[in-house]
Amino acid sequence: MLHIESLTKVYRRGVRANDGIDLDVRAGQVVGLLGHNGAGKTTLLGQVVGLIRPTAGRITLLGRDPVGDPAYARRVCSFQPQAQAPLTGVTPRQAIAMVGRIRGGSRVDIDRRTADLLAALDIEKWADSPAERLSGGVRRLIAFGMAAVAPGRLVMLDEPTNDVDPVRRRLLWTRIRALAADGHAVVLVTHNISEAERTIDHVVVLDDGRVVAAGSPTTLAAGSEMKLEITAPGEDSLPRWARAARRQGDRLTVTLAKADAGLAVDWARSRSSTFSLQPTSLEDAYVGLTGGGSRAHLAA
Amino acid sequence: MRTWLRSYLLLIRWTALRLRFVLPLVLIVQTFLAVGVVIGFAYLMPSVDPATALYLSTGAPTLGLITIGMVMAPQLVAQSKTEGTFTYNRTLPVPRTAVLAADLTTWLGTGAPGLVLGLLTATLRFDLHLRVSPLVVPAILLVALTTTTVGFAIAYAAPPAVTSLVSQALVFIALMFSPVTFPAERLPGWLEDVHQALPFQSMAQVVREALTSPPGGISALPYAVLAAWSTAGLVITLRVMTRRE
Repeated sequence: MLHIESLTKVYRRGVRANDGIDLDVRAGQVVGLLGHNGAGKTTLLGQVVGLIRPTAGRITLLGRDPVGDPAYARRVCSFQPQAQAPLTGVTPRQAIAMVGRIRGGSRVDIDRRTADLLAALDIEKWADSPAERLSGGVRRLIAFGMAAVAPGRLVMLDEPTNDVDPVRRRLLWTRIRALAADGHAVVLVTHNISEAERTIDHVVVLDDGRVVAAGSPTTLAAGSEMKLEITAPGEDSLPRWARAARRQGDRLTVTLAKADAGLAVDWARSRSSTFSLQPTSLEDAYVGLTGGGSRAHLAA
Repeated sequence: MRTWLRSYLLLIRWTALRLRFVLPLVLIVQTFLAVGVVIGFAYLMPSVDPATALYLSTGAPTLGLITIGMVMAPQLVAQSKTEGTFTYNRTLPVPRTAVLAADLTTWLGTGAPGLVLGLLTATLRFDLHLRVSPLVVPAILLVALTTTTVGFAIAYAAPPAVTSLVSQALVFIALMFSPVTFPAERLPGWLEDVHQALPFQSMAQVVREALTSPPGGISALPYAVLAAWSTAGLVITLRVMTRRE
């Protein structure tokens, strides 16, 4: 569906926001773009939807070139921008339905789909209130509704879960999966890695405009390491199988090789009744891949 | 073409929905302005002869169109840029020309009542007899198109804060230093020359002549000047609308 090859974007002030990015997205797939602020995620989406012109590289969207034909890109993609959607003067129902109609849906279909989305995201009670007075999270859900009401073959969501409460985030992830189940390709940007891990099929980690890792969440996370978390006040001597350790108050986190899991459980049992042993998460893998977040980033 | 028309109509609805609290206010203020120019400017002058009355009455609707197109429209565009509406609309699958046409229609619709009321007030106040030419509709449309496209061009090309300043300066120039409500001969020679190229004088002349059908006939030059200005405004606006970073 979407094929990106050596995509590079250098802004006029010289910032290299994307640097030779390759990416493939298939219909029915949810792809998550992870990366620090300024890693180039929004720039990548902007180039596909025709807001930003690539400096070099190629984008193919359903066999055609969206860079040469931005009108085509806008028909095929529906996009939820990172900035709040324009909702001044309208109600959530009006905003979602209007975009659905503008995207080509019939009145009956759009009214039904709007009502379904409002119910599925549990924001029905605000459906007919002035949207500019609603909280950031609800507005974010409305913006998702605007992208999902008459979705293009490719749906791109830039940080759709920001400001949304935990319960409605689950509803949102369900709707995102539903889009993929209907055959749409979904590309989303998120910082909510632990939740994304359960929903997305394919992860692309960007750092400084480059792809530093790509694969399924389990492959990326399943290095050969595990993580032992134990509440053990005053335990200072580390066993020899420990690869790294970090203490926060009474809580000790020890990284170890999978092969040493048995030893670790025995060691933990002898010290505390409260411990957990688990594979490193996607978030741990992400932090490792992007250099622990210690570097400064200047790119847009 | 059907897609274009559908987009155009839906965009008008979308704009009208978003601005449904603002537009009536604009309409009222604009009507007050057009009526106010007729009544208020007459106080400034001890006696109003028929020639002055004619300038005042036909200048008032022109000033109304200038305020709408060069002040209110650009300020709302500036606001939509700040709010993100501008960028959001750029991701919608609608032709750029339909977006522009829908905005123009909205502003024209908002300006029309003030225009008519201002003229009506003038005919009553000065006991004026207008000889309205059939050219009045295209003339007013062309003036509205020029003010709005020039206003849009400023608002799309300049940062919001600059737009606000420029549009206020423009309305001041149009009101006090442009031969809209008075004849150009009253201006100093150099300013009279400047107004040959600026659109204000042509706007006033086109409206005045269309409303009075002067015996010498309706001049073509001001139409050409306005056509040039509105083309420039359209080109700049469409360029900014389709520009990619």
